[in-house]
Order: sequence, then structure tokens, then C-alpha cells
Amino acid sequence: MDSSRRAADELLEAARVLLLLQGALLVASTIEALFWGLVFPGATGSSVVLSGAAAVAILVARARLRADRLGTRRIVYIVEGVTLATLAIDSALAFALIGAYPPAVAFLTQFVLPLCVIALLRRAARATAPISTTNVATIEVTA
Amino acid sequence: MNALLAHLDHVASVAGGSPLYQIAADHLAGVIALVALPIGAWVIRRRGAPTLAPLDWLLVALLAASAALHAGLAIDNEHGIGVRALFVADAVFLGVVALRVMRGSRAGRLGVAVLVGSILAYWVAVLSGEAPDQVGLATKLAEILALAIVFRPAPNRRWRRALSFAGSVAIGLLVVGTAASSWIGAFRVSAADPGAVAGHNVHAGSVPPPGTIFPVVADRDPTPAERAAAADLISAARVALARYADPAVAAADGYGVKGLAGIDFHASNPKYENDDRVLDPAHPETLVYAVAPDGRPVLMGAMFLMPKIGRPGPTIGGPLTVWHAHEHVCVSLTPPGLTGLLSPLGACPVGSIDLPRTAEMIHIWIVPGAPQPFGDLDEAWRRAYLQAIAARP
Repeated sequence: MDSSRRAADELLEAARVLLLLQGALLVASTIEALFWGLVFPGATGSSVVLSGAAAVAILVARARLRADRLGTRRIVYIVEGVTLATLAIDSALAFALIGAYPPAVAFLTQFVLPLCVIALLRRAARATAPISTTNVATIEVTA
Repeated sequence: MNALLAHLDHVASVAGGSPLYQIAADHLAGVIALVALPIGAWVIRRRGAPTLAPLDWLLVALLAASAALHAGLAIDNEHGIGVRALFVADAVFLGVVALRVMRGSRAGRLGVAVLVGSILAYWVAVLSGEAPDQVGLATKLAEILALAIVFRPAPNRRWRRALSFAGSVAIGLLVVGTAASSWIGAFRVSAADPGAVAGHNVHAGSVPPPGTIFPVVADRDPTPAERAAAADLISAARVALARYADPAVAAADGYGVKGLAGIDFHASNPKYENDDRVLDPAHPETLVYAVAPDGRPVLMGAMFLMPKIGRPGPTIGGPLTVWHAHEHVCVSLTPPGLTGLLSPLGACPVGSIDLPRTAEMIHIWIVPGAPQPFGDLDEAWRRAYLQAIAARP
């Protein structure tokens, strides 16, 4: 039990580091959205609000991240889901319109990073999950 | 080796776009050097991998990747001897820190110094004329992630919370600084290399600014026939567009003049954007207005748009009438509108998608005395012209 708890803690620590980078990327994105809002007269303000909200959500979730806090994990899953869905649309558009893919950094920050966060959180949750009745039955049969 | 790199550069680069979204030729050797990583991992496994926490393994991988990349960059001949020596030093120090972590020690002050030094060196390089590209950006993000791991205070450390907060702020500043320096660097490289097309000014120079694509145009003077065709086009546009001097007439014809403001207001007409007409002076896809200091709206010219992405515009005036397109434009879905350009960090603002390329377009300026009748209109001239308009009774 202790070793699985330690493994979960290590996974969550890794997730916290990745969430810090992602939060910083979203803060930078919010500042950029603010800048473009000033440069382009027709730019929409919703992008500033959405980017800022995503940055706050990720950084708060990082600070509150625990193995037993499902709500915090869900917030992270939502932001990561939106990020992955956006990259899927971007990739489809790029391939359909010009037969290319988004730049390499976009794949790192919008695909690899969110996917790693999701994988780490899911593995951490699994490592600390209480043994279900099915698992108990399996253990008994095996014994 | 150089022939291979030149070929790979041709494959990797999209002709005419900003280097910010591409892989620079002199950075391909660094990417190739990353092949050393799986070989290194295989050797470590064969010898018996040490027991490390997952985060320490990630730190080793990030440091080793950056070291391999810098070693690869040192091989390329395009960098000067001084820069190549710096790449070698960076690679060696990063490798030393990676070995240290693999032996169970903390990265320590040396690790922080090497990583921060490498990131700051990138800022200095891009701010002093080196075009930022995808390889440089990816490497810096990897180094920032490595720093985020190094900055974690030990569990039993005093002032743990304060140190953790300070580390988080530092990571935030490094990410924002990397994005800012890359933006500034990309625009500076573009502005420092003017005069791509004789007698013409398309936005900037031969290196396009982020978000703009220039076609490949031969560097030559226009022929007399091309000059005549360009002059005819301007005359035809002046006659056809005169009626749109009144924005109310433009609005009645379907142009979006609502919210007219600033000195470069583009009023589009969705009806004409889909009518398949090409460079028709009587049916421009977009009108460009400016508001004079006294509040008077002034029709400056028009922008013509090709009906399809990837279809080149007719250069009837040769090098005088060069079309351009835009790349990596961020478009909001909530509500629909422009939200900027794709960040060097790889993302549009949340809720926006990346439009990889627009159709080709060209501006024609009908105001008398315009120094550039096609392409970009000099902003200082534009402001002076509007001042003169406002001074008139």
C-alpha cells in the first residue's frame, strides 16, 4: 500500500511540473491575446477571457492536486480535452487546406504535454484507487 | 553533409513563410543529432539503468536532448567559430549535469546556471538578429521544463512554500520572456532585410514577418508593358471606387463598415468574396478606410482577394503587383473574429483555431500621391495625408 502511495505521489509530482509549464504557457497566451486585442481593431476579447480562465484553472488545479481530489482532476481533464480538440481541428484544417501539419512546437505543447498530464493523472488515480470488489474476487480466485 | 542539410532544408521549409514557424537550415544538424538519444538510452539499459524517480529520468532525458542538439548545432558550418564554441560548451555542461543527475545527485547550482544561461543566450541571439525557429523554441521549452524540475525544493527544506512559489514565478517569466523575445526577434529579422521586390514594398522585406507569406518573385524591374498595365489598373480602380467614398453607399452594397475606426479599417463584402471574380476594380472584396483626425472617414483603397487558397493572383504589373497571403492566423469561434497570430509557443488563444493560410490578396491605394500604389502604404505618409485632409475646410 505504501509503495503504491509513493508511486502515486511521484506521478502527481511529475504532473505538477508539467502543469506548471502548461500554466505558464497559458499565461503567455493570455498576454499575447491582450496584445493582439490592442493591435487588431476587430479582435475579440473572449480569447483573453478564455485563455486567462484556462491559465487560472490549470495553476489552481496544480496547487490543489491530490490523488483523492477527483474534482481537481476533472478540471484539468476539461482543459486538456479542449486543448487536444483544438489541435485536432488545427491539424485537420492544415492538412485539408494546404496539405501540411501545424508547426512542431504546437505538437509538443498542444499534444504531447496535455497527453502526458492526462496519462500521469490517470495512472496516479489508479495507483491509489481502493481495491474494488471485482479485484478482490480476482485476487481470491488467484489465491 | 552540407548537401544533405541543404536538401533537408528544402523539404522542411515552406517557401515564403516566416522562419518562426519553420525549421532553419542551420538547425537541422541539431535535429539529426537527437538520434544519439535512443542509442544512449539503449547503452544505459545494457549497462544496467540506475534507480531514479520518474521526474529525475525526465530531467536526464531533457538535459541529454538539449546537449545532443547543441552538439549537433556546433557541427554545422553556417555558425561562426565563436557561436560554435558556445554550442560545444553548452553541450558539455548540459551533459555533465545530466550525468550528475543520473548518478543520484541533484542538478544543483551548476544545473540552474547552465539552463538559465542557455535560455538567456537564446534571448540575446534572437534579439540580435538570429531568426527564431521551431528547433530553437522546442529546445528552450525543454530547458524550461528541466528548470521546473530542478527548481522543486526538497520535501524537508525550510521555506518550502515560498521557494516553490518563487520557482513557479521564475518559470512563468522564462516562458513569457521566451515568447516575447521570439516575437521581437522574428519581426526584427524581417524589418532588417528590406527591398525584396524592386520598386515595391510588400509589408516588409525578403524575410516575411510572422503571419505573412511572400511568393517567390524575380528581383527585376517591371517592363514598360507591366508599368502600363499597373497604371491602367489604378486608374480603373479610382473611377470604380469613387462611389464608395461615402461609407453609407458601401454599406448599402454589402460592405461591413460598422465600427469604422483607426487608419487601416478593412470593410469586407462576403457577397464579392464568393463571386469568383478576380481583380475586378468594380467589385473589390474589401474596402480600406481610415478615419481622419477630425473624424471624417476617408476611402484609402481596396483589397482584392483570390477566390481560393493556394491559387496565385495575376501579377499583371509584374514585380509592381505582388500578391501576398497570411499564415497561422488565429480565428475565434466564440464569437467569430480575429484573435491574433499563432504563438511561437505553438498555440492560438483558447477558443481560437489556427487558420494555416489565407487566399492571396493585394492592396491598391487610390489616394492621390500614395508613394506605393500597391502593397503596404507607409504609415507615416498615411498619417500625414489624414492630417492634411483634416486641415482642409
